[in-house]
Amino acid sequence: MDPAFVAWLIAVSIGASALGGALGMASGIFIVPILTMFGHLEIHAAIIVSIVSVIACSCGSSAPFLKNGMTNIRLAIVLEVATTLGALTGLLLIGVLPVSLLYLVFAVVLGASAWQMNTRRADTFTGVEDSNPRDWASRLRLHSSFSDTNLRREVAYRVQRLPLALVLMYGAGLLSALLGIGSGVLKIPAMDTALRLPIKVSSATSNFMIGVTAAASGVAYYARGDIDAAVAGPIALGSVIGSLIGGRILISVSGAKLRLLFVIVLIVLAIQMALSALGIHVWDKLS
Amino acid sequence: MTRDVRRHGGLEQLLASVLYLGSLLACSIIALGIILSLFNWRKELPSATGMKVVTAGISLLIFLPALRVVLMLGAFVRGRDLLFSGISMLVLVIIVLGATLGAA
Repeated sequence: MDPAFVAWLIAVSIGASALGGALGMASGIFIVPILTMFGHLEIHAAIIVSIVSVIACSCGSSAPFLKNGMTNIRLAIVLEVATTLGALTGLLLIGVLPVSLLYLVFAVVLGASAWQMNTRRADTFTGVEDSNPRDWASRLRLHSSFSDTNLRREVAYRVQRLPLALVLMYGAGLLSALLGIGSGVLKIPAMDTALRLPIKVSSATSNFMIGVTAAASGVAYYARGDIDAAVAGPIALGSVIGSLIGGRILISVSGAKLRLLFVIVLIVLAIQMALSALGIHVWDKLS
Repeated sequence: MTRDVRRHGGLEQLLASVLYLGSLLACSIIALGIILSLFNWRKELPSATGMKVVTAGISLLIFLPALRVVLMLGAFVRGRDLLFSGISMLVLVIIVLGATLGAA
């Protein structure tokens, strides 16, 4: 282990998970491009390390949400059936897909995330809507309530369109295993458009689920002995530290300018990954 | 309205503590392993002990979400919630399937 490389890995992961956490994204979307571009890691190795980072971020940051009763754990376990099945599919695909296609899919996800961040997530929750008492969500008793700290009262909500959400979550699990990301890019539409959850419940629940989704492919890589401890160790350490500080400090800082900065960063990374898909490694030529 | 709402306050507190303390413990083990490895990084021999400690910390972190599902399964079984016991079991089976898929 080279001390300088270890320090760099820890610093990168603290930054990625603290800033990512403040903006409601998992660290993976930043870790993979940074490791392939600047760490000179092969994309499969970067994806595996990133999966460990995503698990670290989820486990490190879910406690406060759980304690405040924001996380809907019944809904989470139901949706996890779809995300872990998706992760298994991703595991089967990753060995088959060519590397250039992986770069390309990653570039598309980065671009979509930039667009998503730019449009800004509106709170689609408009209060309790009438829903069919015999629909899936009612039968599974997924409806719940949370205490809104701004309104200072308990807010009840009902879970809508569960089947559509399950389909989107299957896709999210697939992307998560395939690219080593938390795949907020699909989880956000599933939570907001399909389930119509209040934004706080949605963030808390998806953050809680990301760990199990990533673990489904994480245990497979672990069983295969594919995890490079010399890289994954420092990254995991930095991710937990980053997720612990990120949730506390940065929520108050995340203004419109920070958002714009991240849109630009995501677009730059998307272009870089798209060029890598074509076999052009810009950073190698510059350095 | 509140009739069909199910809360799991106690379980939520337990999961919060397990995930928080588990990730802190994993972090400490990884940090210890890194320090051990860095101590003899200039020596010719690879610092095997340090790396083994790091790997132990990483494995704890990877299995933490699975442990969380096991705890949920236990709580649902104790609450005689048959449907949710089944759903939790299904998620566990899928994770184990992933591990065997990886080992194959």
